[in-house]
Amino acid sequence: MARKTAESKGKAPVRKRAMKETAKEKEDPKVIAKKIENMAKEIVADIKKGNEPTFHTQMRGRGNVKFNEEQGLLELGDKMTSRNFLNIGHARRYMQTMLVSAKAHDYLKERKTASIREIYYELKHTLGETKENTFEDQTESDSCIVDLEHSIDSIREKLNLHANPKGTLYGDITLRDKVHNNDTFNCAKLGRGGWSVMSRIEPEEIEMKDCNAKYVLVIETAAMYERLVEEGFAKKNKAILVGTGGQAARGSRRLIHRLHVEKKLPVYVFTDGDPYGWYIYSVVKQGSMALAAHSGLLAVPDAKYIGMTLEDVEDYGLQNVTERMKDGDIKRAKEMMAYPWFQNKPWQKELKKALQQKIRIEQQALANKSLDFVATKYLPEKIKKQDFLP
Amino acid sequence: MTDGILRAEDLAKDFKEHSVAEFFRKNKQMLGLVGKIRTFTTIIHEFVTNSLDACEEAGILPDIEIQIKELGNEYYEIAVKDNGPGLTRETVGKAFGQLLAGTKFHRLIQMRGQQGIGAAGIVMLSQITTGKTSQIITGTGKGNPISLEITIDPKLNQPKITNLKELNTKFRGTAIKARFKELKYIRSDQAPLEYLRRTAIANPHAKITITEPTGEKITFERSIKSLPKKPIQMKPHPKGITVDELVTLAKATDSRKTNSFLRNDFDRMGDKAVREIQENISFDLNKDPKQMGWDEAEEIVKAFRKINFIAPRTDGLRPIGEDRIRKSLETIITPEFMSVITRKPTVYSGGFPFQIEAAVAYGGKAGKMSESPKKKDDDDEAIVKKVELMRFANLSPLLFDGGGCATTKAVQSVDWKRYGIKDMDNAPITVFLNMISVHIPYTSAGKQAIADEEEIMEELRLALMECGRKTGRYIAGKKKEQEKMMKRQMFFKYIPEVAFALGKITKTDEESLKKRLQKIVLDKLKLEEKEEEDKRRSTEFKAGKEAAIRKLEEGSEDEISPEEEEEPEEEVSD
Repeated sequence: MARKTAESKGKAPVRKRAMKETAKEKEDPKVIAKKIENMAKEIVADIKKGNEPTFHTQMRGRGNVKFNEEQGLLELGDKMTSRNFLNIGHARRYMQTMLVSAKAHDYLKERKTASIREIYYELKHTLGETKENTFEDQTESDSCIVDLEHSIDSIREKLNLHANPKGTLYGDITLRDKVHNNDTFNCAKLGRGGWSVMSRIEPEEIEMKDCNAKYVLVIETAAMYERLVEEGFAKKNKAILVGTGGQAARGSRRLIHRLHVEKKLPVYVFTDGDPYGWYIYSVVKQGSMALAAHSGLLAVPDAKYIGMTLEDVEDYGLQNVTERMKDGDIKRAKEMMAYPWFQNKPWQKELKKALQQKIRIEQQALANKSLDFVATKYLPEKIKKQDFLP
Repeated sequence: MTDGILRAEDLAKDFKEHSVAEFFRKNKQMLGLVGKIRTFTTIIHEFVTNSLDACEEAGILPDIEIQIKELGNEYYEIAVKDNGPGLTRETVGKAFGQLLAGTKFHRLIQMRGQQGIGAAGIVMLSQITTGKTSQIITGTGKGNPISLEITIDPKLNQPKITNLKELNTKFRGTAIKARFKELKYIRSDQAPLEYLRRTAIANPHAKITITEPTGEKITFERSIKSLPKKPIQMKPHPKGITVDELVTLAKATDSRKTNSFLRNDFDRMGDKAVREIQENISFDLNKDPKQMGWDEAEEIVKAFRKINFIAPRTDGLRPIGEDRIRKSLETIITPEFMSVITRKPTVYSGGFPFQIEAAVAYGGKAGKMSESPKKKDDDDEAIVKKVELMRFANLSPLLFDGGGCATTKAVQSVDWKRYGIKDMDNAPITVFLNMISVHIPYTSAGKQAIADEEEIMEELRLALMECGRKTGRYIAGKKKEQEKMMKRQMFFKYIPEVAFALGKITKTDEESLKKRLQKIVLDKLKLEEKEEEDKRRSTEFKAGKEAAIRKLEEGSEDEISPEEEEEPEEEVSD
């Protein structure tokens, strides 16, 4: 079997700066509360002058999302948008945003955290004598949270708000939960389930202490994550395993980001070889369209794609365990070919190959060789040879 | 009858004996006596018209009471009582017992119900459907009223009066009670109640009461206490005359020479015109008009067509008048807003003066009720309003054949959206249109639809557009007002929450924030209002300018202006 090295596949664009911990990352509840106060004070000043109350936030959506080539991140442009209370189209949303701001401010002051569903219920009530509620459903309060994060240029986790947790961590790293009795634990000693990644893992709550690992392996499927735990992969290879269970949630992304930035660990992403898997990689690496403003806190531009690739299919003789791409997959793959961060030879080649053969390959197809094949042969070999897609 | 030769004598005899009854049966359609509902309406129409005419003639404010009783299946008794001048023993027979005895034929005067078969026709109808007599009580106010029963001898077309009695009461007016079969009383757009409602609208000086078979009594109150001006008889205009009419007029004239007959009995006929006619015909106009034959009359009518006459006088027309229409709509429709216009008289087909009156009423009881097609919705409002068109010809409601009527076409041709009335069909609007003329051009013998002559359509449209403009402006203003209110309410609803939130974050007094926010909202709404007002003014100024220009252009096309009208071409003295 002919093996090619990363070098022979063409070079990915080289970034000048590696990702570092920024001031933004260290902002604590006091700073965030202050930001909210300043925002509110400006509005109050306007009201006292008899001016129309407005609320400024960063403009979102395609029109203001850019790919920063140098940093390898999706980021938000500098376009701002303002909501005016006296605009009939904005009035209700304005009122809601103020309520969410006040409540988040409360949480920060009182050192409490709440889920986005809890804040919705906390704020929901009938307006005066009317039949109208402050919020009719959670999507309304969720939108206001997004408005607020973008207004104070931070993430909801820093507003002491969180969504449902998703994702697991396994490996030789010691964490300290500052909020909960200062519990200190090693994530390789929590049984096979590992540590369940919380939605909020800000440094002032979860401290990362000793870490004895060489890299982070991000795994798409729960089944593959379990396979690798069972095979003792983490210990043998000094790896930290993060199972995302599909698309990575904010908490998992923040965790991967912190492991990369604080512990200087390289990040390898291991997904199915299909558009959905590529997109998981893409989000971990450069951030998502919806959270473009927060890529600096969530993304890992230096992350590498380990597999599955169509070359793996040839290299490991997996042709008989591939699956046909569906129409939706083909459409999606075509779109992805145009993404700026896939504009490099190796990825174009990979996507073209997938489109020509119209096939996809799952992580677990490796079991076709043997159950431990992935842990003993596939991953160690690829990592050793640095056989990645950029 | 055998296959042999028909003898003229037999035919004549036959014709005479059956003339009236036959005339009836054969012309039921033309007489409006077709269909169970339409016949009912026609009966009411004939009686009520009679009463209105009689009252007005005598200078009395009409007070008409109608009572309808259901006697059996499709069998009714109808009683109509008025407070008119009453009839004498001598005139009562002629009024109710002789067909075609009216005074309405061959008179060029604006009249209600040109179609009239008259009250006698109705007596006849009662007689041929039930075999019963009609009961009449009438009094002139002087002496005792009389009571009698009447039928018509169809052979002689003569009244047959029975049971004639003098009553020992005081009564001025006429009351008739008659029975009919093959009728049906319902409430609908074409039924008696709607007919009376519309009659009341066109006759605001009348009080009309109806008691329906169910016993429900509905009164259309008098909304104005003065009688309308009487229309005046007009001489025919040469352009509007037919050969037949010319022959009839020639026979009836007092003039002894045809040229003076023309001068005296026609509108706009001067010496110059008579000279021109003479040049265009083959016989001498000094001839006795009573000797005028058909061919000669035809020559004269042809000559009329060649000569340029001044348009006919229009001062004999008597519209209802804007004030009176306004008052009656206020009483009967109680709209939120209405726009009324009586256009200046003008002429169609070169020879017939006419005048259009229009009103658009919005809100209140305007528009007609209709069941909502989307009834399954939980909305309790299953009834929706639809636009209603009330058509009148010389103050008489037209209830039938609406589709072919010039008024309907005119309403449809107007672009109501331009006036901000987005969905005219489903608007709570009543459109009132009245055409006044000495000669209404009906599309058919049924006389329920006005022909769409070009000039009539134009006048209808102009009248509707003006009313539409005004109504649209009102609706737009109202909508704005509502929007403003809703806006204010919405802002005020959110202000306490915003004040609370901001107060909490910044530790500012919530109440003072609330007050300040309210003031900001009110100031902003006031400013918006002012801006809208300015915008409206400037567009209206523009529209006004355009209208002025249009008027100038229209004016130059007009051949006669009202001032010129007063002066005939040449003064003629006999």
